[in-house]
Amino acid sequence: MTVELIAAEPLSLGAIGDALGPRLRLGAEVRTSTERVFYDTFDGLLHEAGLTHWAAPDTPPRRTLSEPAREAIGVRALLPVAHVRVRSSTAPLLDSLQKTVAKVSIERPTLPQASRAQRRLRPRIVLEPVRGYDSEVEHARRLLRAKLECSDAEQSLREEAAIGLGTDPAGASSSVDVALTPTQRADEAAAAVLTRLQEVIEQNLPGTLADIDSEFLHDYRVALRKARTVLRELSGVFPRERLAALRGELKWLQAITGDRRDLDVYVLDFEELRALVPAEQQPELEPVKRVLSHRRGSAHKQMLKDLESRRARTAMKSWTTMLDYLPRLSDDDRPDAARTIDDVSSERIRFVYRRMLKMGSAITPASAPDAYHELRKQGKELRYLLELFGQPLHDPRVVKPMVKALKDLQDVLGRHQDRDIQAKMLRGLADEVKAQTGGAQALMATGVLVQRLDDDAAAARAEFAQSFQAFSSREQREHVKEAFSG
Amino acid sequence: MSKVLATYNIKGGVGKTSAAVNLAYLAAAAGKRTLLWDLDPQAASTFLFRIQPKVQGGGRGLVRLRTVVSDQIKGTDYEHLDLLPADFSYRHLDLALDSFNRPTSRLGRVLEPLQDEYDYIFLDCPPSISLVSESVFDAADALLVPIIPAALSARTFEQLEELAAAGNDAPQVLAFWSMTKGRRRRHRRAMTALAESHQLKVLEAAIPTSEEVEEMGEERQPVAAFAPKSRAAIAYGELWAEVQDRLG
Repeated sequence: MTVELIAAEPLSLGAIGDALGPRLRLGAEVRTSTERVFYDTFDGLLHEAGLTHWAAPDTPPRRTLSEPAREAIGVRALLPVAHVRVRSSTAPLLDSLQKTVAKVSIERPTLPQASRAQRRLRPRIVLEPVRGYDSEVEHARRLLRAKLECSDAEQSLREEAAIGLGTDPAGASSSVDVALTPTQRADEAAAAVLTRLQEVIEQNLPGTLADIDSEFLHDYRVALRKARTVLRELSGVFPRERLAALRGELKWLQAITGDRRDLDVYVLDFEELRALVPAEQQPELEPVKRVLSHRRGSAHKQMLKDLESRRARTAMKSWTTMLDYLPRLSDDDRPDAARTIDDVSSERIRFVYRRMLKMGSAITPASAPDAYHELRKQGKELRYLLELFGQPLHDPRVVKPMVKALKDLQDVLGRHQDRDIQAKMLRGLADEVKAQTGGAQALMATGVLVQRLDDDAAAARAEFAQSFQAFSSREQREHVKEAFSG
Repeated sequence: MSKVLATYNIKGGVGKTSAAVNLAYLAAAAGKRTLLWDLDPQAASTFLFRIQPKVQGGGRGLVRLRTVVSDQIKGTDYEHLDLLPADFSYRHLDLALDSFNRPTSRLGRVLEPLQDEYDYIFLDCPPSISLVSESVFDAADALLVPIIPAALSARTFEQLEELAAAGNDAPQVLAFWSMTKGRRRRHRRAMTALAESHQLKVLEAAIPTSEEVEEMGEERQPVAAFAPKSRAAIAYGELWAEVQDRLG
């Protein structure tokens, strides 16, 4: 494993060579200067996976991306984190057989884009072992630490550079993670959660507008949905009139971003869908892909227009205003404001759970797809309540089994809904697909695909009973009653 | 999947190690991920790469799959070229292999976890007919057989051809002239005679006897690394091109 040490000037390979002798010796020195642009996803997936990736300026970063890094980033785009100029002096580290066992470098990094005072980063000694020679590098590390003024680098160069530029090396998180206490006033807790959700929405807006990758819009919409859950389920902590207006506006924001998200999912899942039809028909679906990607382009344009409109900006402002005013408002109009958050949220969790039990029990194999969709919506509501309030306020041992049972149910409902919506959308594309070159064959292949989607939706319906049984078992009901008694 | 190539001859001192080291070097220099396993307890390839001839748990640990093979691999001084070193215990490798039901499949089992990691795996084999060589035939896609232009070597080659063809999944046998002295009439005659009288085709590239090949021991580098323009280095280049061609 590569070892990095932070050292103090004056520093030279000569001094390093003296410290490493006599068992190890340095070979001929080579001096280089490189420009490294470090990349990561917006949410720091490479950093989270313990990976680093850099490329020379003007080189597409994906070209040299390693397989583990490719896997770690998934659908996310790589964005530049820091541009670092590194002057290096490098020499091979030789053992008693004159065999190269490692590469030793002194790296002197600077940040060309930082202010003069912050431009220079601390010099590093980098020991990069040849395969099979880790123990020699460990020996060298011990010698250098004992004989030179240096210490193990606690941050990688990429991390230090990001901090030097005033950014978080871990990237931007879309998780909510607001610390709450059970006895906190409900309005205060709700405001803290909504403030964080608004931050998540704001931080994902530029990437959504610039269409950097599909996750920006996804995270934007999830945060929006969570905020709507808070406003709906904890409605008694907000002033009634303002609440109604804000809920209306957030519903509108959800609606104007819906088409593009649906089409994103389509485009992302297209190969998976294509695999559902027989191999010989798979190429015939190409016109469908073209139509979808064209539609996605139009949906993005429309969404841009809406999100950049005065109405959208005003909606976000009125959200901020309501949160600013909340502590100063009287409790008269807000029956739940002064109750504890534990009390209010537990009541809501119990309530939504009971509502799901009622809705789910009424579902039979003959029920219309809408009955499943409605239940799934309630499932999301419950999941968000559990995530936002259940987890921070209760023992994870209590909340986890409930989340697990809910997740299994939501997976089945989600598959049913996705397949149902996908089939409906494909049916709706018929005219456009027909007009394409190869449209007739594409239409036939689409017919096969729609049939497969319908079959899968039916299979999900058949699985529903079992997962709902687990979710609504006596044990689970007792569990909810006990855990969320308020 | 990597291609496994073994340099092999029943006789010693015919240029096996030199071929293994130089061909592996050329494969790696062309960007192919290459491993050389020095199976010879005399450790000549290991010595040439300045690596200690030591494998934890010895040969027995490797064939019993108790030692994780990838942990024993050493990087050489050349990019893309790694070495699985020799170990003195390899002299008892026959005994270690003999304790298995299907002893000849063992070397292949050792290499299995490396199949995706390397494009080429070279096996530098000790000179003998033994369970080790049979295991090598089992594991290898091709045997690279250096023959010196003398009657004894030609007979050896016949024996080898028989042996290699005996297995169900016999490796391709690619023989090449080694240590040739083009001007000596006796050598030329032997080469022509063998070319006429044997079913097996001998490759066209021939490795000449040269000072550079002899100097490898002092330089402790492949010929192509320290004397890339020498006759020997050029001959190894031609040999490698021909071998790749034959492998398809």
